[in-house]
Amino acid sequence: MIGNILMSIAFIGAIFSALMYFLNYRGYQNTLNYARIAFHTMATSTILASVFLLYLILTHQFQYKYVYSYSDTSLPLGLLISTFYAGQEGSFLLWALWMAVIGVILQQYCSVRGDLEPRVMAVYSLVQSFLLLMITPVVKNPFALIYSEPFMASANTINPQLLNLPFLANYIFSDKSTGQMYVKIDQSLVAGLQSAGISLREFIINGRGLNPLLHSFWMQIHPPILFVGFASMNVPFAFAFAALIKNDYREWIKQAFPWLLFAAMVLGLGIMLGGYWAYGVLGWGGYWAWDPVENSSLIPWIISVAAIHTMIVQKKTTSENSIGAFAKTNLVLVILSFILVLYSTFLTRSGILGDASVHSFVDPGYFAYLLLLIFMGTFLSLGAGMLIYRWKYLQQITPPQNNLLSREFALFTGAVILGASAIVTFLGTSAPILGKAVQIEFYNEMNLPLGILIGLINGLSLLMKWKESDGKELLKKSTFSLLSAPILTVIMIFAGVKDFKMILFAFASAFAFFVNVEIAFKIIRRNIEKAGAYIAHMGLAILFIGVIASSKYDKSIDVNLVKNEPADVLGYKMVFTGYSPTEDGKYAFNILIEREGKKYKASPIMYYSDFNQGIMRNPDIVPFVTKDIYISPISYDDGTSSSSSQGTTLQIKKGETIKYSESEIEFVSFNFPADAMQKMMAGQDFEIGVKLIVKNYGTKYEIEPKYGIRNGEKINEQAKIKDANLQISLVSMSADQDMVTLSVEPVSAEINNEVAGKEVLAVTASIKPFVGLVWLGTVVIVLGFFVSMLRRLKEARE
Amino acid sequence: MKARYYIGGAIILIFLGLLFYNFTRTNIEYESDFVKVMQSGKVCKASGVWVKEKFYQENIQDRTFVFYIRDAKNNEMKVVYKGTKPNNFEIATNIVVTGKFENGYFHATDVLTKCPSKYEGQNVSTSGS
Repeated sequence: MIGNILMSIAFIGAIFSALMYFLNYRGYQNTLNYARIAFHTMATSTILASVFLLYLILTHQFQYKYVYSYSDTSLPLGLLISTFYAGQEGSFLLWALWMAVIGVILQQYCSVRGDLEPRVMAVYSLVQSFLLLMITPVVKNPFALIYSEPFMASANTINPQLLNLPFLANYIFSDKSTGQMYVKIDQSLVAGLQSAGISLREFIINGRGLNPLLHSFWMQIHPPILFVGFASMNVPFAFAFAALIKNDYREWIKQAFPWLLFAAMVLGLGIMLGGYWAYGVLGWGGYWAWDPVENSSLIPWIISVAAIHTMIVQKKTTSENSIGAFAKTNLVLVILSFILVLYSTFLTRSGILGDASVHSFVDPGYFAYLLLLIFMGTFLSLGAGMLIYRWKYLQQITPPQNNLLSREFALFTGAVILGASAIVTFLGTSAPILGKAVQIEFYNEMNLPLGILIGLINGLSLLMKWKESDGKELLKKSTFSLLSAPILTVIMIFAGVKDFKMILFAFASAFAFFVNVEIAFKIIRRNIEKAGAYIAHMGLAILFIGVIASSKYDKSIDVNLVKNEPADVLGYKMVFTGYSPTEDGKYAFNILIEREGKKYKASPIMYYSDFNQGIMRNPDIVPFVTKDIYISPISYDDGTSSSSSQGTTLQIKKGETIKYSESEIEFVSFNFPADAMQKMMAGQDFEIGVKLIVKNYGTKYEIEPKYGIRNGEKINEQAKIKDANLQISLVSMSADQDMVTLSVEPVSAEINNEVAGKEVLAVTASIKPFVGLVWLGTVVIVLGFFVSMLRRLKEARE
Repeated sequence: MKARYYIGGAIILIFLGLLFYNFTRTNIEYESDFVKVMQSGKVCKASGVWVKEKFYQENIQDRTFVFYIRDAKNNEMKVVYKGTKPNNFEIATNIVVTGKFENGYFHATDVLTKCPSKYEGQNVSTSGS
């Protein structure tokens, strides 16, 4: 109840404040106070609702559907907190929460800057209204009770002492294929429990839990940061729209600039943290897979970065009788970067990407789908409509751009290239909407030439002067970089960079790197405040070099490591020393890595997950300055079971025939003596067999692998056919389904394979050169953004 | 002044041309009808459900994973995937395989598992894509 009330108040507050702010702008003086009160009521309610949800999660109130669906009692505190945003409802609430927090700061910021507040806050509140509408009690309610719709709860989350209540029989169901038991929780069950004096909270004592794939340190960091980025992208949009409303384009650039830098910084950081999560924990093997979810947040980021560049020009060229260059471009880009955030949300929340992504999506239901579409459509048409409305006037007041050899034009070119890259990514990511998909190659092929251009323009633009540059002077200034870049490029060619385009990319990145290093070095000593751009560009160059080295020139090999037997892998001596359980109930497979007397240890992880009903694998990385050794586990064989992973497991139904290499195996019948069951129960000797017919090149063999107890000892008798190079043993059988599981392997495997009976760990080992530069580059870029942000914040104060 | 517009226009045309060329070249169609998948023999993304009743093979030695999938019209298709059984395979409600049909079975280069769980924004890792 409390949650629903808070959410409703927040929603009404947001709408009311948007309306009051708008009226205030239209001249109603007395509405300003109402608007502020409404806004702060909204913010307070949103924050309280979030605190309440967190409280429900921390106190394990599984009678709430959201708490039940994503958490359980076994999660450690950090992960338990992160279940707050494990589902759609909660992640929308998190977004709204950041919007509320940022909004309070924004309101403060605007209230001291002329007539800014009503316009900016009206737009901002309108966006927040839509967000809150998504999670109001009627749409995607995070505070819905579990029985609001009939819900199938797994029986093992129910208090076992209460499971034998007489009236429960009608509510218990079992899934025949998995043998799982479920309890159907609905209104009538709750009423029944109530009359028996039992509360729902006593009845449901555990939740479904969090998907083990999300059990990660990064789950606690990546989503919150990404959502701060999403929320803060709304601020520059509000400024741009406010400028369009007033038809005054002088001030908004200066005022919005620190906010735009902040948004781009945080969103970029969030994106790259996701990349690190995929690389270091999930075992994607790389930091960027061009997955639609990754792409969808990259697109608004690219556009916002393009906007930063053209906004600098406008800011620089603004004078008393000119609004500055690229005024139109800036409005378009800033509005677009916000619309693209909404588009990203639409792609990832509407279920429309369905089969296209490795990320899973829920179909949120038709209503929520429509609402997302309306959300995006509203702001797209508002933004586009306002631009068209003001276009003619903007056309008249925007001064023409003339000089090609100026920093202004170079910055504009940079923005155009970024825009092109965004178009490429947008097209590829949106293709699934049309029932198509592009291969990864599309992104790489298209973005590589753009990357080369970005590298070059990154370096050149910073050497150019505002207004007009002299060609000769430009050449003189770039001497150092033009001499150093080829050296680094040649080193990279010797290190293995061969592809022509890659060499160009390497040169462009090296050039950018040296230009920025040179300038940054000079500036940092004099005035660190102004070094932001150079630091960020240097970071980009570092990141590019890391991308070149790690994406195309990694080496990878699959190996079987026999326990305690050293193997030579990619120039390293690797020994599998056995496995050990980890604190959280998984298994670490320890590998000693040795080279030139130095020892390192890698412990990739594998475990069986009940939640996913399968083997989960996490890689481990040994980082060096120049490379990462990346060990990804494949499988482990303890050498004792007959169902050894050397062979193959086959499931056959009675009467069916299955092909295995050159043989055909037919399952004829069970040999199941009538008293076998009884004897098995009593622990006496018994034997069960499976009659099979194997055909191999026209020859028929009748065989019968068996298992049971003979003379008090367990037996598992293999059936061998030497001529067919086949040995078959029984793994399991299910008489009621007429099905057996067999382990089949070649006889030669036993003879030839030295590893039989030994513990073997199979891994994919890779050497990934200079991945570290990608992360270093990211950190440097973020640092650059931060320095710039501080500088522009200071300027916005003037 | 005019020359600049021509150059700009030419660059835009080249970009759009490249974009169109690469888009069609790397384009893969989704196909939910296995009869079409088997006939065309082109690279595509086929989606269906895992046929649990039929056998599957995990061959560690040559690292292949063999299983059957079925489409909505109950057409079955054998899939051979060069790789290990993906995480989440058992609980997947839907499986999307990328590759092409040749010599009587589907050669998959990528297997994607779609899960019934409600997690969005989760990273269900599959293969080294």
